[in-house]
Parts: sequence; structure tokens; C-alpha cells
Amino acid sequence: MTVSVDPIDLAGLGSPAWGGFDSARTRGRGVRGLWQSFRTAAHLGWQMEANWTDPLLFFIYSVAKPLSAALILVVMLDIVSGGADPAYRAFVVVGTALWSLVLAGIAGLAWSILDDRERYRMLKYLYVSPSDFLVMLLGRGVARLAVGAMGAVITIVVGIAVLGVPFEPAVVDWPLLVLILGLGLWVIVAVGLLLAAVCLQTRQESWSYPEAAAGALLLVSGVVFPLAVLPTPLQAIGLVTPLTWWMEGVRHAAFAEGPSSIGGPGSLWLDLTGSAAPEAWTIVLALLATGVLVTLGAIGAFRASERRAKDRGLLDRTTGS
Amino acid sequence: MSLYEYRHTASPQEAADWTPRQQLLTDLRAVGGRAYPRVTGMFREISWLFFELLLPFLSTSAFVFVYRALQAPPEYVGFVVLGGAMTAFWLNVIWMMASQLWWEKSQGNLELYFAAPMSIMSVLFGMALGGMVMSSTRAVIVLVIATLIYRVQFAVDQGPLLVIVFLLTLAALYGLGMMLASLFLMWGREAFHLTQMLTEPVYFVSGLNFPVVRLGLLGALALATLPLAVGLDAMRQLAFVGAAFPIGTPPPAVEALILVVMTVVFLGAARWMLRTLERMARREGRLSVRWQ
Repeated sequence: MTVSVDPIDLAGLGSPAWGGFDSARTRGRGVRGLWQSFRTAAHLGWQMEANWTDPLLFFIYSVAKPLSAALILVVMLDIVSGGADPAYRAFVVVGTALWSLVLAGIAGLAWSILDDRERYRMLKYLYVSPSDFLVMLLGRGVARLAVGAMGAVITIVVGIAVLGVPFEPAVVDWPLLVLILGLGLWVIVAVGLLLAAVCLQTRQESWSYPEAAAGALLLVSGVVFPLAVLPTPLQAIGLVTPLTWWMEGVRHAAFAEGPSSIGGPGSLWLDLTGSAAPEAWTIVLALLATGVLVTLGAIGAFRASERRAKDRGLLDRTTGS
Repeated sequence: MSLYEYRHTASPQEAADWTPRQQLLTDLRAVGGRAYPRVTGMFREISWLFFELLLPFLSTSAFVFVYRALQAPPEYVGFVVLGGAMTAFWLNVIWMMASQLWWEKSQGNLELYFAAPMSIMSVLFGMALGGMVMSSTRAVIVLVIATLIYRVQFAVDQGPLLVIVFLLTLAALYGLGMMLASLFLMWGREAFHLTQMLTEPVYFVSGLNFPVVRLGLLGALALATLPLAVGLDAMRQLAFVGAAFPIGTPPPAVEALILVVMTVVFLGAARWMLRTLERMARREGRLSVRWQ
């Protein structure tokens, strides 16, 4: 694997023209330096993700997981209800497709820690490099997020083309969809950061932790069934989870006629507000508010985890069982 | 006399000429030694209690609520709970059996395994035993808690056969894991991605949350090749007698025989593959090449 480096950057590694020591270099180059770290990490992550095989196999790998998850639910629907309700079919297909993005985003950051610490044993070197550790980690995570996004898009396309998901491009609220997707990506990265903080402390077997965490969030995020089915305390947890609002937002923007994952008969939302389903502006505000809380919590947790890892020498630890 | 006590020999060849008893005892110790870190590891770091017990239970619960949202018959909830418990074994097989030799190679342990005076099969048996202990804990807890919370009604007709089918499923699953360990080692970095590709797609074709017969030809293929599919179907037939779900798969006794055949084939193939791989690796000098 090779990573191309801009020749201009290499030239910048030499001594200053006047021959002395440029102390500004120890302070980094501000936003430009951060962007360069992010870009390089994202490029490296993409190379590591995609250079192991031929494009066709890579494509199959990227799509098989989310598509199978959607098919499991479609068959469950068909067995019980004969697949009579296309709106509910759209609900589960879109939910599982988006969830593959969540899974990829959460796992991306956490696995970057485990990859570099346990497998390649490079984490300590990356940590002491001049790049910001957090920015570098985000860059690595973006590559897996891109793979997850590809899987999600193809699952939705297959859902529309093969599984009978009703989709009308003309009625889609595109500006809202773009806004919600953007906010959602930010939330996914924040949750991923939280898992990265956990994996910095745990042993090699934590490969499965992101998947386990995503599986648990699946329960309270209205991904494959409306929250109204859940007991009230679990519905309350769902309402403070940003991913719930993200799911609702995407459905509201793209499948406005379909069932709401938050509202509906018997839901806590209906009891609290008296409205059948949240409005677009409510969804955006709720996503922003819960997203900010999760982001602050994730950054705090990551910094605390980073300090503890340094204290206890966990950055160059390797484990196994 | 201790197994490793010094004995005077005339030549290195004579010293290396172990008796069958010495070989057997060494292999058994290797099994115990390889299982030990997996069992002990459970008590060294307790984060797994949260991530491996509580969270998988919540994940299983999500599928229970899908059936509840659809107002499905109660036995379908039982299917999900049983499937959720069995995923612990499948995840263990692909993550900690199939991928393990490749991990060991990346970490520099593999050459030590091959250089040690033991059968590499005993290392795989040890990994399987340790893994079974870990996964059984998770499976039992998910099964018990979910059964109590969601009031799953089991209707078991042939208890002993159910136990036999369960044990045969484990044997076939871990036999498959041992076989995949060699293949994954050969495939290298691709193995990591294959590990992920063997999760949801296998859940789907195995009928993890629904009767596999619903998948028609695909389901039949899964029954012929995947221990998870056969074992789950047989266990469902035995644990939910009289349940209203599509029938069309072979009876449990026949599926138990399929599992026996799978176990023999997978273990035999694992042994052959390991020997072939060892020969290839020695010839090409790739045992200590990492990260490929």
C-alpha cells in the first residue's frame, strides 16, 4: 500500500531558508494543519478499506450486509402479514439501510483504535505524531462511513426497484433531506467517538462492541418498528436519542406518507404533545439539541479516555485471548 | 515420571521420538493452555458483561418488538429468542475461531504454534473449548432473561434429542470454524472483510428470526451447508412442538444426522487444510509475514 504525498509538503519538511529552527512548526499550522491531517487519515483509511481486493468483490462485500439485514425484516413481514402494507415495508427497508450507515460510522472510529493498537501496533506512533489524534481518528472513520453510505444507498435502490418500496422523487422534501442527512452524519460520528473512547480502554475482543452497541440502539431508535410498540420508559429513552430523530427526519422528508417512527396511536409523543407526528422543524430542533448533547458527551468521554490511556500505558498495549 | 523430565538419550533423534502417551498428554495440555486465556479473560475484564450480555439481549429484543408490532403468533417471539441465543456461537465462531489464526499471525504467535511440539489441531480445539464457555454464558443469559421477560412458552417433546441436537450444532459450528481458520489464514486481509460478510447474510439464509423453509431453494441450500441453519431448524421443531409455522424441512432426527455428517466433514477438512497450509507456509516461508 502506498500513500501519495504532495511534493510541496515534502519540500516544507526541510530547514527554513535562513537555516535556523522555526519554532512555529512545533505549534502546528492551525486549521490548515488539521485539514491536512484529516485528509491524509481519510485517504489512508480508504486505502486500507478498499485496496485489499478487486472492485466487484468490494462492492459485494459492501452491499451484502445491509441488504441481508433488510431482507431478514422483509421476510419476517411477509411471513406474518403477507407483505400487505408497502408503507411498512418501506419503513423497515429504509430503516435497515440507514442503520448500516450508523453501524459503519460507529464501528469505523472504534475499529481504527483497535486496528492501529492491536494489529498494526502503530497507535503509539500516531499518537506522538504532530497530527491531532482526534482529527486523525475522525479521518480514518470517514472511510468506513463512506463504505457504509454506499451500502445504504444501494439497499434503498434495491428496495425501490425489487422490494416494492414506494418512492416519489417529486414529493421528497430535498432541502430537509439534505439537512437531516448532514446532521445525522455528525451524530453518527459523535456516537462512534464514544465507542472509540470505550475501545481505547478495552481489550482486543472489543471488535464486537460497536455492533453490540448499535444493536442496542436499534431497539430505541425507531429503526424497524415504531416507538409506540415499546413500553413508555423505553419510548422516553428513544425520544432523547438523536438517531431516533434522524430516522424520523429522513422518513419525513423522503416518505412523508409513511408511518411515523415517533408518533402514532399509543405513542408517548401523542400523549405528551397531542399531535400524531412531529413537524419538520421539531425534528430538526430535536436532532440538533440531542446531537449537541451527545457530541459534548462524546468529546468529554474521549478526552478522559485518552488521559487514562496515557496514564496507564494503554496506547501501546496488545491483548488477546 | 514427569512428562518433561530429563532422560538420557543417545541422539537428538531419539530425544525427539516421543511416545504416544507423551504426544497425547502434550496435546491435551495444549488444549487446556489455549482454552485458559479465553476462560480467564472473562474474569479479567468485566466490560464484556455489558457489551456481550446486556447489549445483545437488547438487540434480540428489537426483533421481538418487530413481531409484536406485526401482532405475530407468540411462538415467533420464541424463534427470535432462540435465534438470538444462537448468534452468540456464530459470532464466536467467525470472530474468534475463523479469524484467529490470522490474528495470531499478525501478532507473531503463529510461528511459535507451528514450532511447538504439539498438534496445531489441539490449539484449535483449545480455542473452540474456551470460546464455547464464553458463548454459552452469553447464550444462556440471553435465553433465560428473554424467556422470562417476553414470556416465551416452550413446548419440548423430546428433551434428550434437543440436547443432542444442540451439542451436535456446537460441534458442527466449531468444526466449521476450525476449517475456516485455515482458509482465512490463506486469504489474509480479505478474511477480516469476509468475517463481516458472514454475519447478516448468514443470519438471513439460516432463518435466524423466521422458519428457514420460507426461503425455498436458498433455505434448502443453507440446510445442506450451514450448521446454524440446520441446528436452529431442528431445535425449533423440538422446542416449539405444535407451533403454527411453515413445515417442510426434514424431521429433527434427520437434521441431527446432517449435523453429524457436517461435524465429521468439517473436522476432517480442517485437519487436512491445516497440514496443507503448514506445508505451503514452510515451503514459501510465509508463517511470519504479517499484515497481508
